[in-house]
Amino acid sequence: MIDKDKIVSALYEAIDEINEFRPQGQRLEKALDTRLFGAGGVLDSIGLVSFIVAVEQRIAEVFGTSITLADERALSQRNSPFRSIGSLADYISKLLGEVSGVPSTHGTG
Amino acid sequence: MAIGFLLERFEEAGTRPAIVWRDQTYSYDSLVERIAYWQKRLSQEGVTKGTVTVLEADFSPEAVALMLALIERGCIIVPLTAAVEQKKPEFIRIASGQKAFVLDKNDHVEIIPLGYPGEHELYDKLRKRGHAGLVLFSSGTTGKSKAILHDMIRLLKKYQTPRHDFVTLAFLLFDHIAGIDTLFYCLSNKSCLVTLEERSPDAVCRAIERYKVEVLPVSATFINLLIYSEAYKRYDLSSLKYIAYGSEVMLQSTLDKCAKLFPDVIILQKYGTTEVGTLRSKSRSSDSLWVKLGGEGFETRVVDGVLQIKAHSAMMGYLNAPSPFTRDGWFITGDRVEQDGDYYRIHGRACDIINVGGEKVSPTEVEDFIQTLDNIAEVVVYGERNNITGNIVCADVSLVKKEDSRQCITRIKKACYMHLQPWKVPVKINIVENIDLSERFKKVRRRTNESGSVACETTQS
Repeated sequence: MIDKDKIVSALYEAIDEINEFRPQGQRLEKALDTRLFGAGGVLDSIGLVSFIVAVEQRIAEVFGTSITLADERALSQRNSPFRSIGSLADYISKLLGEVSGVPSTHGTG
Repeated sequence: MAIGFLLERFEEAGTRPAIVWRDQTYSYDSLVERIAYWQKRLSQEGVTKGTVTVLEADFSPEAVALMLALIERGCIIVPLTAAVEQKKPEFIRIASGQKAFVLDKNDHVEIIPLGYPGEHELYDKLRKRGHAGLVLFSSGTTGKSKAILHDMIRLLKKYQTPRHDFVTLAFLLFDHIAGIDTLFYCLSNKSCLVTLEERSPDAVCRAIERYKVEVLPVSATFINLLIYSEAYKRYDLSSLKYIAYGSEVMLQSTLDKCAKLFPDVIILQKYGTTEVGTLRSKSRSSDSLWVKLGGEGFETRVVDGVLQIKAHSAMMGYLNAPSPFTRDGWFITGDRVEQDGDYYRIHGRACDIINVGGEKVSPTEVEDFIQTLDNIAEVVVYGERNNITGNIVCADVSLVKKEDSRQCITRIKKACYMHLQPWKVPVKINIVENIDLSERFKKVRRRTNESGSVACETTQS
């Protein structure tokens, strides 16, 4: 089973990582409704890329699976997975589910 | 005579040392003797004018004598060293080699028929001139190796003017334009060429100490290896007068360290490409990356920030690729330069520029900064494709001492964020055991944006 909590904690670790390099006032909050990119988002494109790479590395460490978050598929989703931490966690869960063939334990909304 | 001016100088030099090979010294007299032997032997073997001859060798007395005899005979010479071992069959096919002279470790020569016809329209042109030729291969780290044909007689012309006589180390390779330049510069000035069996920092320093080497021509990367191996501390290098570096972009941080370590040595930048040969150059100072380029038979200009060269001794063309010259005969080097009066500063290959969401990042600028941080042995910066910003900046870093990877990456990134614009900060940093070096002691930079550009594949020597 894919443990969504584990995904969220991996995302929070990635937040810790990139916050180290971000000035006060531009740091990301560890919350599911933190807006990442787009309307109300705190990241610019360079910031988003850094965050995504950090997330991919954490996911690979935690789940032992490499996933690519910023590919054509992510960009063609009706709702961008990069809107918020919650939407990104859902998207990761979906990708991991496809890789392992098991559904996730619960949604994050 | 094609090598007449050299033979005259060799006779003047007489018993003076020409080559040190495997701790034995060979005089100019003995070199003249071996050239005479090979001239006779070539005639007996039926090696005729215009024959495409592969010379599988490294710097050695027989290799040098044989090369000169082949030039005199008007042959087209294809030197190949062990560094390109795996590519030899392909290179011989591209060059259409007819005969191979293979030198073993004891300098014994085996002559092998190769079976190719030695045909190419550029060869025909050369044979009509009655001149010897030289085929060199580009390293091909970014794709297919290119075969570059030079008119040997034109290439040798610039060595007719006598210059300085210095004991010189044969660090650069026998099948590389810069190695060929070292060889003919030495021979034309009756100097002693000290050869190496291996090219490690310790072996290099040992040879400098033992034979009182005065000139050390190396790649920029080797200087970095020399610094962090600390080999210079273990030997007496007081004979050194010049360190000449080239082949790739030198980092300011490395140059500063080198100038500090060797305050009595003049540090010079050399510049050339396999296609046009080596230009004469003059660095503004030992710790300056600004360099004057030119010399007799060379003109330079900058178009769109990229250096172009017109050379009397330029290659005749590629054997396996279309001509890279502009209509008016200029060679586009693909090297980005800055200009200040007569001086140029070389910033690296135009094709190495990483385009991050429209912002252009020069890998050498990022490398130069990271190299100044603590515990960094080597760094190479390159681009990786990314769907959001087109490309991202990545860095491979090797360390002097072991360090926790995650902490080290954080430390490097933090420092980069403080000093570089955000798009220049490497998104991915990999701590690696060793940075890949090419057989020519150059850093291997992964490239994402080649798109077959000619400029990307030409080779700075």
